[in-house]
Amino acid sequence: MKPSHPAAHILFLVLLFSLFALPAGILVLVGLAPGWRFPDLWPEQFSFAGIEFLITHREQIVSSLVSSFLYSLATVFVTLCMCLTPAAAFARQRFPGKRLLEALVLTPALVPPMTFAMGLHMVFIKLSLADTAAGVVLILALFSYPYMFRALVAGFQTMGEGYRVCARNLGAGNIAIFRQVELPLLVPAMIAGGSVVFLVAFSEYFLVFLMGGGNVPSFTGFLMPLLASSNRSLAAVLTLIFLLLPILLFFMLDWGLMRSYRKKGMI
Amino acid sequence: MSWTSNRTAILILKLSPLMLPFVVLFCGGVFLTVCQSLGLFTPLPHTGGLVDAYTVILSDPSFFASAGFSFGVALASAAGSVTAATFLAYRVWQLPKMMAGAALVYKIPLILPHIAVAFVVLVFWSQSGILASLAHALGLIQSMQEFPNVLFSGWGVGMILAYTLKGTPFAMLLILALLVRFDVRQIQTAAMLGASRSRIFFSIVMPRLAPALHTSFIILFLYSFGAFDIPYILSESRPGMLSLHVFDLYFKHDLARRPEAMAILTLMFGFAVLFIIAYSKTVTRLENGVRKL
Amino acid sequence: MTLRSNLTCLLLILLMLFFNPFAQPARASGDPLPDTPFEQIREQARGTRVNWYMYGGWAHVNAWVDTFVAKEMKQRYDIDLKRVPMDAGVFVNKLLNEKAAEKKTGTIDLLWINGENFKNAKQAGLLFGPFAGRLPNVRQYVDPGSITHDFGFLVEGYEAPFGRAQFVFEYDTARTDTPPDTVAALKEWIMAHPGQFTYPQPPDFTGSAFVRHILYAVSGGHAPYMAGWDSDLYEKNAPRLWQWLNQIKPFLWQKGRTYPRDSAFLDTLFARGEVALGMSYHPPHAQNMIIEGSYPDTVRTFALKDGSIFNTHFTAIPFNAPNKAGAMVLADFLVSVDAQISKFQPENWGDFPVLDMKRLTLSDRQRFEAVDLGPATLTPEQLAKTAVPEIPAPFLEALEQDWKTHVLDQ
Repeated sequence: MKPSHPAAHILFLVLLFSLFALPAGILVLVGLAPGWRFPDLWPEQFSFAGIEFLITHREQIVSSLVSSFLYSLATVFVTLCMCLTPAAAFARQRFPGKRLLEALVLTPALVPPMTFAMGLHMVFIKLSLADTAAGVVLILALFSYPYMFRALVAGFQTMGEGYRVCARNLGAGNIAIFRQVELPLLVPAMIAGGSVVFLVAFSEYFLVFLMGGGNVPSFTGFLMPLLASSNRSLAAVLTLIFLLLPILLFFMLDWGLMRSYRKKGMI
Repeated sequence: MSWTSNRTAILILKLSPLMLPFVVLFCGGVFLTVCQSLGLFTPLPHTGGLVDAYTVILSDPSFFASAGFSFGVALASAAGSVTAATFLAYRVWQLPKMMAGAALVYKIPLILPHIAVAFVVLVFWSQSGILASLAHALGLIQSMQEFPNVLFSGWGVGMILAYTLKGTPFAMLLILALLVRFDVRQIQTAAMLGASRSRIFFSIVMPRLAPALHTSFIILFLYSFGAFDIPYILSESRPGMLSLHVFDLYFKHDLARRPEAMAILTLMFGFAVLFIIAYSKTVTRLENGVRKL
Repeated sequence: MTLRSNLTCLLLILLMLFFNPFAQPARASGDPLPDTPFEQIREQARGTRVNWYMYGGWAHVNAWVDTFVAKEMKQRYDIDLKRVPMDAGVFVNKLLNEKAAEKKTGTIDLLWINGENFKNAKQAGLLFGPFAGRLPNVRQYVDPGSITHDFGFLVEGYEAPFGRAQFVFEYDTARTDTPPDTVAALKEWIMAHPGQFTYPQPPDFTGSAFVRHILYAVSGGHAPYMAGWDSDLYEKNAPRLWQWLNQIKPFLWQKGRTYPRDSAFLDTLFARGEVALGMSYHPPHAQNMIIEGSYPDTVRTFALKDGSIFNTHFTAIPFNAPNKAGAMVLADFLVSVDAQISKFQPENWGDFPVLDMKRLTLSDRQRFEAVDLGPATLTPEQLAKTAVPEIPAPFLEALEQDWKTHVLDQ
């Protein structure tokens, strides 16, 4: 009883595109036409000033992108280390206070991050962690690990105990089971959690500003003054760049995974 | 006996990578926020009483205005996102396979940082924006002043739009994750038994989606309540969001007012925790009620 | 397998590079002693990096720093310049935090600062100095009498001059024939054109300056304030200012219920035609925006006949700057003839020079005279006619504090 008119589906896709993709499309126009003003529906004049800006500022743009990319990746890595064994325990073991503990460890993603970040700021300054990449990664990990945790717990649960028991019966030790059986099976869950953590870290402005103090370059930090400035065309061009990198990244990830699964005959 | 204690030790060891940072950094951070709100460990020696900062804040009517405003913006945007996401996700799920790929565009705002989404709202909805131009081209308005004052109406509509645009795909993601595991045959059976489409949606699909709806609502609500990025671009002078107020107190004044910033944060934290507890209690009670029926 | 392990390896190497403190250019250590010759300071700064924290809301200024200044610093002194966008109030607060946490080595080397932020920073002991008198270009080209005070507060060599600016209004000749050029006319004009005017919300730098113009105008000019803070004078005159601002409030953009957050926001409103008048503390700002394509070509500027405030803006070095030698070299370069001329050109920035033209060689002076400020910018002579000095910082702080209660919340 699904609505099966192709026309209805196409109409719906148009709606979806105009809600979520059209803004990006319009940004291309805004980026190419700094003088686009009311009431013109189409810009009168185009200029490549935005593109020129990209070229003259390429070093800064690339370095802030690379920096954002790396601290986000490091955040993914740190959250993975934080969550791997606890997720296994939560998925498989029963222990008193488990429900309460689970609710507790999820709170950092729910409460406003300002509330703990600002309290920590002073301590981070004293420990010389403020204004360093390590401090930024720590605070981002603290705020985003629940996404990784949830994904891994779900991953362990879907995996079940079967593979583990089977491997043990075949004589594998704990470490071998973990490395050769469980870890590969967990990759999809890690990627699911990792992508959310990556996006959260990559698109965060305030925490990086607070803990990085401007010393840790970030693309959001580079973008913010431009978004707040009156030069909309530059802001648009850079926002588009922001969009491209994660999309490329996820495409590559998808493609790489498919290839490696195919090689192993898992698909 | 030693076997169980050994097991407990292993369990603690297994949990420690998570519990250690949680206790030290998160709980420690909140603890320090509370301390600084009381004038302890502040960068400048605090001379007043313990609750001075709270007295100052709670006697300021603009604090309550800001708090109510933040609450309203968060509520409207979270409810809007979850509602829109439910319908959109359901329709995406119904798409034939060959069209499903195209539906992935919904993830675009997920990638954009909040500040960029705020910028998109600015470009579209200001009185000299794209939509105003469109309305002019369609002959709906003659001058830009006739275009509805969306961004500066005093109701935070601009921020609500931005949060909704950013939050909808997030909720869709969670909902679709549940939908892919959903058995189509349930719907087919219901349809064969003569259930209308809306009946199917509300009685069969919605209850299955409830966990995702609740999770996304809580996350989105509390995020919009306390975040800084979008208000920084779209906020009006008055009433301001709480987070902006905190930012100003923290960064734009001398250190003497630090306890006030921290006191607001403490109140926000308390509110968030209470909200989570109250919300999950209500949901559990409602669901138990449903099951009894 | 190989693909993935290669990728992992690559990522790990990247991560290690990222966290490796040696990956970044060395940071000079040790403060330059007061008697170190400047040549030696330059030598000491060679091969280091300088972090310059500055307001980041002007794309053209950012571009000038990132291209011209960064390139010249690299070529001349082998110094890597890194611009960090941050509002002045925020970095002063950051330094206060670091001072309270007793952090001996910070991250900021040079600040772009003036006014109340300078006063607060200097009073809290956040600044290194005095150093301005040690910069060769300051000694050679700058009239010492012109940099003794900053918003009525003694400079004492704790900041080096960087540029000069004066407050102007902006209007579009295609839309407004004759702009109101006195405070009284401005009020009438605002009331006759509801919704067409607004000013950035103090403590924004520009909005706060606008408010000071009105204060001067309604209380008999700048002269009474020059003697320094006087609370009786403030109590007597401030209510007249609030009255003036509240009278125009219902005729402002959004009926005065909300104000632009900062000057960049007002620029956007003006550029997009939502308001008819703009304002800037930088005379060539309109010309910059025309060149950039954000403003129509028909925009021009004017100054209020009642007086338009000018100021000098400066650079300063924090007490815990890791690279004070590099910061001094940069501060000195910014006062050089080449930097000041490049900065003066409207396609770069158009900021007015701080140099004393009488101290320049004839050819250098001609280079300055040859700069075409563009049709939208008032000439230095036109500006000089209306120029009035800034108010002492305590007045400014009181005004910014009270504006919220007396105007916004009214």
